[in-house]
Amino acid sequence: MEDIGLDASAPLLEIDDLRVHFKTDRGVVKAVDGVSWSIAEGETMAIVGESGSGKSVSAMTILGLIQSPPAVFPTGDIRLRGRSLMKMPEKDQRKLRGREIAMIFQDPLTALNPVFKVGDQIAEMVRNHQKVSRIVAKRRALDLLGEVGIPNPAVRLNQYPHEFSGGMRQRAMIAMALSNDPQVLLADEPTTALDVTVQAQIMALLEKLQEDRNTAIVLITHDLGVVASHADRINVMYAGRIVESGTTDEIFYQPRHAYTFGLLASLARMDHRRQERLMPIKGQPPSLANVPKGCAFHPRCVFATDKCKAAIPPLEPVAGIGHVAACVHSDRVAVAYEERVAT
Amino acid sequence: MTIPGDPSDLRLPAETLLAEPAPEDEFLPVEEGVDPIKRGPSSQFADIRRRFKRNKLAMIGLAVVGLLIILAIVGPLIAPYDPYEQNLLNTLQAPSADHLLGTDELGRDLFSGMLYGLGLALMVGIGVMLGSLFLGLLLGAIAGYLGGATDSVIMRITDIFLAFPYLIGAIILIRTLDPGRQSIFPVVFALILLAWPTTGRLMRGQVLATREAEYVEAARSIGAGGPRIVLRHILPNSVAPVLVYAFTGIGVAIVSMAGLSFLGVGVPPDTPEWGRMISQGFKFFTVPGSSYLWVFPSIAIVITTLAFAFVADGLRDSLDPKLR
Amino acid sequence: MGKFVIRRVAQAILVIITAMLLIFLALFALGDPFASSGDKTVPPDTQAALRAKFGLDKPLPVQFLVYLKNMFTGDFGIDFDQRRQVSDMLSQAIPATVRLTVVAILLDILIGVLAGIIAAVWRYSFWDVLVTLLTTFAIGIPVFVIGLSLRANVSGELFFPTVPRSAFGDQPFWLIEVLLPAFTLAVADAAFVARLMRGSMLEVLRADYIRTARAKGLSERTVIGKHALRNSIIPVVTYLGIGIGALLGGAIITETIFQYPGVGLLLYKSILNNNNPVIMAITAFGVIVFVAISLMIDILYAYLDPRIRLS
Repeated sequence: MEDIGLDASAPLLEIDDLRVHFKTDRGVVKAVDGVSWSIAEGETMAIVGESGSGKSVSAMTILGLIQSPPAVFPTGDIRLRGRSLMKMPEKDQRKLRGREIAMIFQDPLTALNPVFKVGDQIAEMVRNHQKVSRIVAKRRALDLLGEVGIPNPAVRLNQYPHEFSGGMRQRAMIAMALSNDPQVLLADEPTTALDVTVQAQIMALLEKLQEDRNTAIVLITHDLGVVASHADRINVMYAGRIVESGTTDEIFYQPRHAYTFGLLASLARMDHRRQERLMPIKGQPPSLANVPKGCAFHPRCVFATDKCKAAIPPLEPVAGIGHVAACVHSDRVAVAYEERVAT
Repeated sequence: MTIPGDPSDLRLPAETLLAEPAPEDEFLPVEEGVDPIKRGPSSQFADIRRRFKRNKLAMIGLAVVGLLIILAIVGPLIAPYDPYEQNLLNTLQAPSADHLLGTDELGRDLFSGMLYGLGLALMVGIGVMLGSLFLGLLLGAIAGYLGGATDSVIMRITDIFLAFPYLIGAIILIRTLDPGRQSIFPVVFALILLAWPTTGRLMRGQVLATREAEYVEAARSIGAGGPRIVLRHILPNSVAPVLVYAFTGIGVAIVSMAGLSFLGVGVPPDTPEWGRMISQGFKFFTVPGSSYLWVFPSIAIVITTLAFAFVADGLRDSLDPKLR
Repeated sequence: MGKFVIRRVAQAILVIITAMLLIFLALFALGDPFASSGDKTVPPDTQAALRAKFGLDKPLPVQFLVYLKNMFTGDFGIDFDQRRQVSDMLSQAIPATVRLTVVAILLDILIGVLAGIIAAVWRYSFWDVLVTLLTTFAIGIPVFVIGLSLRANVSGELFFPTVPRSAFGDQPFWLIEVLLPAFTLAVADAAFVARLMRGSMLEVLRADYIRTARAKGLSERTVIGKHALRNSIIPVVTYLGIGIGALLGGAIITETIFQYPGVGLLLYKSILNNNNPVIMAITAFGVIVFVAISLMIDILYAYLDPRIRLS
């Protein structure tokens, strides 16, 4: 860490008013429009939202994977232990990628290079950041495959991605991501492409590895079920902005934004009374080139009034400390939710 | 409202970053008042036509092809001279008012020769394309759908035809079929025989791919039988790349024939055929000012080939925009 | 990998033998290939010698076996024209053509692959536009047009001798003699290769695993030169397998244009002279070489893309 000037007392990773806009022939696409959050060591923070909410883009911006000519960053900064990532020269950013911050992606079949052996791909990750020989790197890859629970690692080391099952591939990706003991792991929909039973295994694996290494995990997903059992804190995103943020308990038991309410009401809950009706949110998320004025959710919102169109509601504290929501009618949301879960 | 995260109209490298896949529980919006089922195959054609029209190169190509076809048809009518007519007093004349493109070493008018050559080239090109398309589609579909022994046999046959380097195979075939060089049909026939294996293989690959597709299983599950499945479901979806390839084959056939005539194989001597004209014309290249003899037919070939190639490209892009 | 290779080799041998059968049928079964035809009269003793060698008085199947034996032992008989051993003529011409094809392929790959990569990696830049424009037009220009244009314009004796110097044997400047024809062959094909490479590279660059490679912190040079290249070159290799056929055919034309003393020129002359033994020999040779090269390309492809080894 010393060589890139990181400050051990600053928050591990923080995003500060980040905006990522793309210039296209359909106008400006505001993929990320003023997002701020931070994460501490060993924490699991979930970013929840539908497709097109900007959650993946914000993660990829952290790693510098967003190409800059079509994208512009009008405001905002990303800081790792106080050092700005966005102002860092590319050379230094590359040193961090895969070392301090690593990422796993949604579809492990397409995320792994099909023409190289799995073991070689992991070893490459190791050798890129640590000065070790090929043999040592290969052995490390072998150890990692064992650590993530892949049976017969010595055989698997020399196989190709298409010879692995879906769950195994994701384990291999996790092994690769954690090979240099990063401080932050960005997990972009890690379980969406997998079967339900495998999903649970992968999440359990991530938790175990996190305990062992004290890694912070940013869990990006649209699946509230996964979030409920594995996240410490949640940021709910909609149309490029954070609309509600709090601990998992706070979000699940005391939602204060109409969108969060809508998400929860469309879930079947084991911990609620049996006969409530599922209420899907009507309509579709907006195109990011054409975000509705004011609160972006208002066209689909059952609580919306004219006030919602007037201006973008700021994030304000609602219930516990640190629980914020950007909804003008958060009190009405609270009441509606109480009614819904009351026995 | 537009489909969330639909990247197809963004046209940037960033488009893949915004293309977060829709989770299965999300439905595509139905436009008010439009019955989605009615928007059937006819509007698919409209889509294809629209995409094709947007492709400028393809449209230019199409226009040129149209022009060439018209020229070929009226050629014999508007040609000022009989291309076979020799005039030994008038040999190797540079282009003039009398002979628009000059005369060759036997006094034949080059312009008329080229017009007839155009007709020849188009006939051969389209003939080869149709022949190889027919054979390829038929045998490829049979091989792909029936599988097993039939498939193996047909595949071996294509292997053998493909074992001959194109020109060498053509030479042998033509010499066998027509040692005396009496007509151009052996050329067409030979080229078809050498071209169909590739279309056949393509078709077979397509049929294999669509045969296992889920909608075919769905069709089977509601009781549709063999030939019906092939005709209604497999064929329309397999044909596209084969068609595109066949179209590029027109240009290839024209060039191949020209190449064969260039070498002296194929068309009877003295036929007004571009390849032969180039070959004979070039013999005089040391004579100053005579390069028109081979340059004009060369330009003709290039233009024709390019025109068909552009159309084929446009066809490919409009049949499946994902292919680009 | 081993099983794959064995299977493919067995297939190739089968194909070659069947192809030979076809050639045999084409030339022998339909008549006497050694009779005089056209205006070239073949001296009767040559005719007799050849007929005996190929056992033309014996039943067809025996003829085929004799023919096979002759082909594989390299004994093609005596040519009509100069009454030399055909194998002699071939042994002089083959190395020349090999030199030509090898140089042509190298140039082809060099120009085509590089142009394609540059056009894809620096998309929308001046180089991309240039490459796209050039290749769009170049694919419509047939080999002989390129060859003729080059020959007409560059045939100064000083730099690019186009007259064969076979009288001088192997000269130190064989590269010069080969350069123009090889360049002609290469240019005709490089346009296809460049477009293919560009398209393939563009598609690969959009793939998820490239994003992963960058997320690993690898340098852009490694991302493109290793991860992207390995994947994007696969279709090009497949294409080259087919392209070799066109190359061999194009060699005939190019050698004829430049009077380059290789197998192609030999074939051309024998067609003119109706010199059947030579034609037969060259065709057989062409088929064998082509099948062998296709086989090697297939194996190379399987090596590059492990997914297809299962088929």
